[in-house]
Amino acid sequence: MIPAPFSYRRAGSVAEALDLCTEYGEDAKFLAGGHSLLPLMKLRLAMPEVLIDLGPVRELSYVREEDGHIAIGALTRHHDLEHSEMLARVLPLLAHAAGQVGDPQVRHRGTIGGSLAHSDPASDLPATVLALDATLVARGPAGSREIAAADFFQGLFETELEPDELLTEIRVPVPAAGAAGWSFQKFTKRAIDWAIVGVAVQGSAVALVNMAGTPVRAAGVEAALAGGATPAEAAAHAAEGTSPADDINASPAYREHLARVLVERALLEAQSV
Amino acid sequence: MSGVIGQAVSRIDGPAKVTGSAHYSGEIALPGLAYAEIVGARVASGRITSIDTAQAEDAEGVAGILTHLNMPKVNNVPLLPSLIGGPAPGETFFPMQDDVVHYAGQPVAIVVADGLEQAQHAATLVQISYAETPSITTIDQGRADAYEPEKIFGGLMPAQTRRGNVEDGFAAADLLIDAPFRFAANHHNPIEALTTTAVWDGDQLTLYDSCQGIKAVQLTVAALLGLSPSKIRVLTRYVGGAFGAKAMVWPHVTLTALAAQYVRRPVRLALPRGQMFTSCGHREEQEQHIELGATSDGKLTAIRHHKISITSPFDDWAEPAFGVASQLYACPGFEGVHRLVRGNTMTPTFTRGPGEAVGVFTLECAMDELASELGIDPIELRLRNITDVDPNTGHPWSSYGLRECFERGARRFGWAGRNPQPRSERHGNWLIGTGMATAGYPIAFFMHTQRARAHLYADGTAIVQTATQEFGTGTSTVMTQVAADGLGIGLRDVRFEFGDTDLPNAGSPVGSNGAMMVSAAVHNAATAVRDQLITLAVSDSQSPLHGADPAGVVVAGGRMTLAGDANTGETYSSLMQRHIMSDAEAIGSWDPPPLDTPHGLLTFGAQFARVAVDADLGIIRVRHMVGAFAPGRVLNPKTARSQLMGGMLWGMSQALLEGTHMDTRHGRWANASLGDYLVPVNADAPDVDVELIEVEDHVTGPLGVKGVGEIGQVGAAAAIANAVYHATGYRVRELPIAVEHLLAHLPSGPASAAAGAQPDLT
Amino acid sequence: MQITMTVNGVSHTRDVEARLLLIHFLRDELRLTGSHWGCDTSNCGACVVWLDETPVKSCTVLAAMADGRRVRTVEDLARGGRLDPVQQGFAECHGLQCGFCTPGMMMTARWLLDHHPDPSVAEIREALSGQLCRCTGYENIVRSVRWASEHEAAQPAGGDGGTGRQAGER
Repeated sequence: MIPAPFSYRRAGSVAEALDLCTEYGEDAKFLAGGHSLLPLMKLRLAMPEVLIDLGPVRELSYVREEDGHIAIGALTRHHDLEHSEMLARVLPLLAHAAGQVGDPQVRHRGTIGGSLAHSDPASDLPATVLALDATLVARGPAGSREIAAADFFQGLFETELEPDELLTEIRVPVPAAGAAGWSFQKFTKRAIDWAIVGVAVQGSAVALVNMAGTPVRAAGVEAALAGGATPAEAAAHAAEGTSPADDINASPAYREHLARVLVERALLEAQSV
Repeated sequence: MSGVIGQAVSRIDGPAKVTGSAHYSGEIALPGLAYAEIVGARVASGRITSIDTAQAEDAEGVAGILTHLNMPKVNNVPLLPSLIGGPAPGETFFPMQDDVVHYAGQPVAIVVADGLEQAQHAATLVQISYAETPSITTIDQGRADAYEPEKIFGGLMPAQTRRGNVEDGFAAADLLIDAPFRFAANHHNPIEALTTTAVWDGDQLTLYDSCQGIKAVQLTVAALLGLSPSKIRVLTRYVGGAFGAKAMVWPHVTLTALAAQYVRRPVRLALPRGQMFTSCGHREEQEQHIELGATSDGKLTAIRHHKISITSPFDDWAEPAFGVASQLYACPGFEGVHRLVRGNTMTPTFTRGPGEAVGVFTLECAMDELASELGIDPIELRLRNITDVDPNTGHPWSSYGLRECFERGARRFGWAGRNPQPRSERHGNWLIGTGMATAGYPIAFFMHTQRARAHLYADGTAIVQTATQEFGTGTSTVMTQVAADGLGIGLRDVRFEFGDTDLPNAGSPVGSNGAMMVSAAVHNAATAVRDQLITLAVSDSQSPLHGADPAGVVVAGGRMTLAGDANTGETYSSLMQRHIMSDAEAIGSWDPPPLDTPHGLLTFGAQFARVAVDADLGIIRVRHMVGAFAPGRVLNPKTARSQLMGGMLWGMSQALLEGTHMDTRHGRWANASLGDYLVPVNADAPDVDVELIEVEDHVTGPLGVKGVGEIGQVGAAAAIANAVYHATGYRVRELPIAVEHLLAHLPSGPASAAAGAQPDLT
Repeated sequence: MQITMTVNGVSHTRDVEARLLLIHFLRDELRLTGSHWGCDTSNCGACVVWLDETPVKSCTVLAAMADGRRVRTVEDLARGGRLDPVQQGFAECHGLQCGFCTPGMMMTARWLLDHHPDPSVAEIREALSGQLCRCTGYENIVRSVRWASEHEAAQPAGGDGGTGRQAGER
């Protein structure tokens, strides 16, 4: 299917993108890799009047080490995260999770910023940045502001971003020496697919993919771990506070079971790293 | 004979397909081409109360819109399966003849525009209001009104099969197995969507159609539109997969022809993937219930096998579930009954391994259960029950080979020494199990006369033609081999032409019949030309072969020689030049044996699978599959193996992934996309081994070919389900296997119970 | 809107609608029908082409997004009348039946071998898992890519025609 008609504008820089956004207001949507937005537009689930293509914006594609954190440009593609030597060294969870997104072709196009701004609870990176306690940087007409990952995801396809704001950077604190253990567990029926349930663990931070309308931290698990519980004991709390969907892929009860098993496996693996 | 039959010849269409120069039905360049888009009904039952096309008509590029208000009336054409060789509409219903909606997705308007994007957009602008009425879209909703039809499968087969007395059989049994099964609907999903391009030139219609049978398309469109078949030509060179979706002729083909007539331009329609779920049939949602009676030494005494499935409001369609299941084992009592529920879906259709892939699953799962109950090895149980004659008729098989399939398959797989105890092998989180099943697929002699033309030039090259087609199976490659072999010339000297209804008649290559029936006609045409020239040579005083017995002349490399004396002879060329012949030609034809031929007609095989089940997550991974098959004579092991491997993956997919689920609130399929209808990707595929057992068959045409199109799938899902039982102790009762049901039977508990368990979800 | 892109080394300028997808641009505007369309949902991969140096699903890229960039399709795999080893592999090892998924499979396989000349079976399966084949059961596709790898190792590829054999990782 071909999307409904829209106007197409191209931005060469962040400033230009924001100017275009001011010009068109709420009718406009930013287009990064297009692998979240275009499928919705084909199905007429999104019908923006204006698309602002960020393709030519080069300044937002980077991974660099800054003062105590890793800064990632929002337009960095999954493929580049997956193969970043720096991430492999400092944030292997993020590199690995990026390599689990979609399929190889999708990873050549999709960007981390696009994936986060799309806010699909079934996608891999939102839960990952949540587990990493990342800070998301948004730029709007009034300048930049920082949004904690924990505050960013508001619901299915809903984020804290204002319509005239562009997500520009993801800042991830370098894990402390004692929190270097990590794991990413993704359960799919078919080898390559969206997660039915997924788990991202960094140290003792645990976040869940597709267990609610947004990615969620497994607060019960984290509290149990803080209280000295074993991985098995802590994992028993994995489904607490979640509200998993009931769909053709799995019932809520099965998703809760998957969460418990996958959290335990993730904690064990993180311990062994 | 040139010996080219049986060689692993690489595909003759390989170069075109790897360079992107193979043109499929949506890729024919035509001046003035317009694009069509169908609007499907949003509701599953009711009436259209208003339809407003004004906004759509005003949209940019729109050339015309047809709805029930301006659609010409078409003729009623009965549903007959395409393998018979006549008109073969997929359903007797034709859309847009009135305002009634029978199923969601039923075409209610067709929009034609200059560009594809314009047609798609304008289709969203057609405003339709419905008066919706309650719908029935699942067996559960219609079970109370289920009925026993007289005939199924387009009136082709009786709905009941009976032999002996099942009650006596059950009374004589020491042990009973009673197993109910549920099966989700399946959609074929070839990667090329159904695509039609229609071009009128006066009253002459040319169709480029992504189909399995060009003759069926020609005859169906002719019958619906009341045209002479001579006015319709169908050209189909390449088809991007079919699997039954393209076996029957669906309404969109004729709708495209009517749309092209309406806008007076060539029109192309390519079904969007979502409409592939409501436009070309499906394997029906069904339940099967099997009861086996057996003596304590494992001899079957009775089989009762019932099926209930959902069909459309118009047609008594069910895939036949017990053709093979009634024939595999020498059991004195058999009762098979199909029951139907009428529902608001389109008419279901053939889906790869039609009927038998599901019916044999049911039987072979029950046989595994019987083997377990009796403590008999599953292969041994089958060996005690197989039969050298068709148990329904008492006729001997046209050819057999099943024992060799068991033996060679088991050896290849490493079956010997298997510990029959369920849950006896565990590696980390993975429970490992093995299973097997018998496979069988019918040879159906329903087709009419098959014809082919062989045309040999004086330079020793030939064109061989028939109106069959190629949709990936390897027909064009194999027929080139058969033609070269029959003519006694080299492969490179033959051009095989196909995919054009103006060529001599061939039936739709469906039901695994293609290689058998088309090769028979091609062989007969090629050998007829050869025999003409041999006859000429032996009667020609100037020929070195003068006076020879024609039966004692052989041809290879275009040279006729005495058998056993390669020095005595001459080439076709020299003979033809001497006689000032520019060419020689013959039509070859072949008629199948009568339907009551005194032979049992099945292709046989055996399937083996090794699975790993995650003890905590319930997920199943198939690690290894072995299939051993006896498909008669193998014309080309390369194409045959590929067909069989592909079929085996379909079996895996049937077991683990494929199911279309009805959203009963709206009466629509809930997962009508390739994102939600799961088919395996490369990383899901197990190691697959195929053993080919050649058996001589003197009934199935001059070359003794049976077929490989479907049998690869039959039995594969059962072998996997039986392996899942062996791994876990859980008896599968539904397809695709519901992991959540399986999980309830697993030794759940913390993953850490598995010592040293490593998370490994791959 | 007007766009210009270099497809298989040839520059094309066209007026298109912004919503036109790259796959339809290639097929309907440029008549390069070797790349196929199959699913609407970025699942089947019949439409895979290279955008600059990387394989992408061209049904999920607007033609406008390829403005000013380079596209490579299956029609450009064979060079100077010689089939690419990947093409030879698929033809030789029966890595195709209906052939509809084949061009997309080969474009990914070519990229894979450019970056990993000696991929394992598991790496091949993973690399090609964004693309569906309904016919072959995948086994012969894997063999085809291995065939190409082995024959390239024995006979290094000649000069690069220009649209990209260089490493594309940034």
